[in-house]
Amino acid sequence: MKAVETFTTDFESTLDLPDDNLNLLRRESFEEFKKHGLPTRKEEYWKYSDPSIISNLELEFVSSGQYEDENYDVILVNGKIVKRFKDCQMGDISEGLRSGNLGEDLFKKKDKPFLNLNNAFAINGCYLILESTSRQTIRILNLITNEGKYQAVHPRCVIIAKRNSESVIFEEFRIMGNGTSFVNSVTDVIIEDGANLEHIIMDDFAENTYHVANVCVKQYKDSNFVSHNFSMGKKFARRDFNVELNQSGANCNLFGLYFVDEENHIDHHTTIDHKEAHCNSKEHYKGILSGKSTGVFNGRIHVHPGAQKTDAIQNNQNLLLSDDAIIHTKPELEIYADDVKCTHGATIGPLDEKGLFYLRSRGLNRKEAQQILMRAYVNEIIENVSDEKIRSELMELILDRLPKGD
Amino acid sequence: MLKIENLHVSIGGNQILKGINLEVKAGETHAIMGPNGSGKSTLAQVLAGHEEYEITDGKIEYLSKDLLGMDIEERACEGIFLAFQYPVELPGVNNTYFLKSALNAQRKYRGEKEMDAMEFIDLIGDKIKLLNLNDSLLKRPVNEGFSGGEKKRNEIFQMAVLEPKLALLDETDSGLDIDALRVVANGINSMRKEENAIIIVTHYQRLLNYIVPDFVHVLVDGKIINSGDKNLALELEEKGYDRIVEEAKA
Repeated sequence: MKAVETFTTDFESTLDLPDDNLNLLRRESFEEFKKHGLPTRKEEYWKYSDPSIISNLELEFVSSGQYEDENYDVILVNGKIVKRFKDCQMGDISEGLRSGNLGEDLFKKKDKPFLNLNNAFAINGCYLILESTSRQTIRILNLITNEGKYQAVHPRCVIIAKRNSESVIFEEFRIMGNGTSFVNSVTDVIIEDGANLEHIIMDDFAENTYHVANVCVKQYKDSNFVSHNFSMGKKFARRDFNVELNQSGANCNLFGLYFVDEENHIDHHTTIDHKEAHCNSKEHYKGILSGKSTGVFNGRIHVHPGAQKTDAIQNNQNLLLSDDAIIHTKPELEIYADDVKCTHGATIGPLDEKGLFYLRSRGLNRKEAQQILMRAYVNEIIENVSDEKIRSELMELILDRLPKGD
Repeated sequence: MLKIENLHVSIGGNQILKGINLEVKAGETHAIMGPNGSGKSTLAQVLAGHEEYEITDGKIEYLSKDLLGMDIEERACEGIFLAFQYPVELPGVNNTYFLKSALNAQRKYRGEKEMDAMEFIDLIGDKIKLLNLNDSLLKRPVNEGFSGGEKKRNEIFQMAVLEPKLALLDETDSGLDIDALRVVANGINSMRKEENAIIIVTHYQRLLNYIVPDFVHVLVDGKIINSGDKNLALELEEKGYDRIVEEAKA
């Protein structure tokens, strides 16, 4: 277990930082992480995705770097803020805890190993407090720089949408350089009463990237959350998306689009916790898998006792472009209330042969026909992004990354 | 233009066409009639290049080239157009975008300059009127949510824009009410030219009142059992397929 040994050495070496309170929380999380180590496929939750493939890598902890780009409002390099947005309150995690803007709860030990590992290394990170009631769009770049090394980064971002605020957050993950990176990111999103938040999360990593991401959303009374999750899996990608609907009238709409090719792997575990009555959730995730890639979609909807009048819809569609690509898709509905509406559906299939024939019979070649059908397929998700500029940027990028057809 | 010789076709081990011979010259309109399951649609699909069918014997010459050696898109670019019996819905694919891409793919193949959006809009203006097509259909996804009649009109609209040399109309009359039938037939008639040919596949004589064929062929059980002029269609309507089959056997 070289990886855990290296994590330990690196963890110890960062304990000399002055914030005693944070250090205490970090130590608790790290002890919790070490108790279990890296999860393996023997655990149900990790049945199809094996994070222990990183266990023999000596991944050096990195937490600094420089980068400038005026297209972004906030820039973090290897998890550390290098550019701040002037029009909202923000800072790093330690500042947030000291000022009381962040609660300690977020950083207490959890039952998820990678959350604990991220907590343990939460020495930088960033938090944003959104208060504007007129719509504000903020672009965040989470850049990982890695010139040929083996490294670990643990980016942390906390977004707090205050009462009745209106915001769009575009969180982008990118890598510069061709090293081997383990990226263990956590995004916390707290949406207070009556707030509307649209969150776009997108990654475009280099080949040798192992990515574990946790997005943890807590919603309160009458809040609305629209999420767009675009991920292009590389060597290993696992994203857990958890939404808690904690008070009545909270609605969430989760859109997802994933691509994976070659021998790469991508896994989405989403959980929506309906904790109170009168909350709606809609989830639509689509994937495109080619080559010898594997994908996982596990969509859990948990309707707690008393969460009457819940309306939950889940839909997962997968396009398999080769005979060797594999998708595991599983809805998981756990319902403890009797007056609810929950539906789910999953499809797996190739591109529509009838559609291809139709397009080709009009003169388009097979590749062009495939491109047209794939473009339509991804557009059904992308078109939900409300900001036109971001939408067209995403469309351009995603079309460029789509499989080229056979 | 088109010469089919001894064409045998099967799908999944079932022999559908059992020796078709047919010659179509430029300027001609042929109607192929026959009962359900006789192989009419198969013939149209095979000509368009559908890959599920297996050609077990025979050959097809189109404009002096070997048609069976061409891909689906190559046939389209060489001027073959199939108006589908069941036009395919393409959710998320904008109708105008689709047609412009198709036209430009064909123009590129022929070494012509691709059309930009403005030129394309100019081009389609008259054709829309010709088929009495609602503008909004152009902005919608291809065939999605179209009524049966709209789908068929959209097929003929595509034909008007792509200007094929050989048009295959597969049951274009099915699902059309009388008014729509007239509009569609007018559209098709306006495209009949000396250098083009049309093959109409249909059950009924109805469409042939509007588009008068030069030749009528009766296809039964994978073979053409009778050929004649437009009067054969009338005779068929009157006597029914069974009698024609019996007479052919006798």
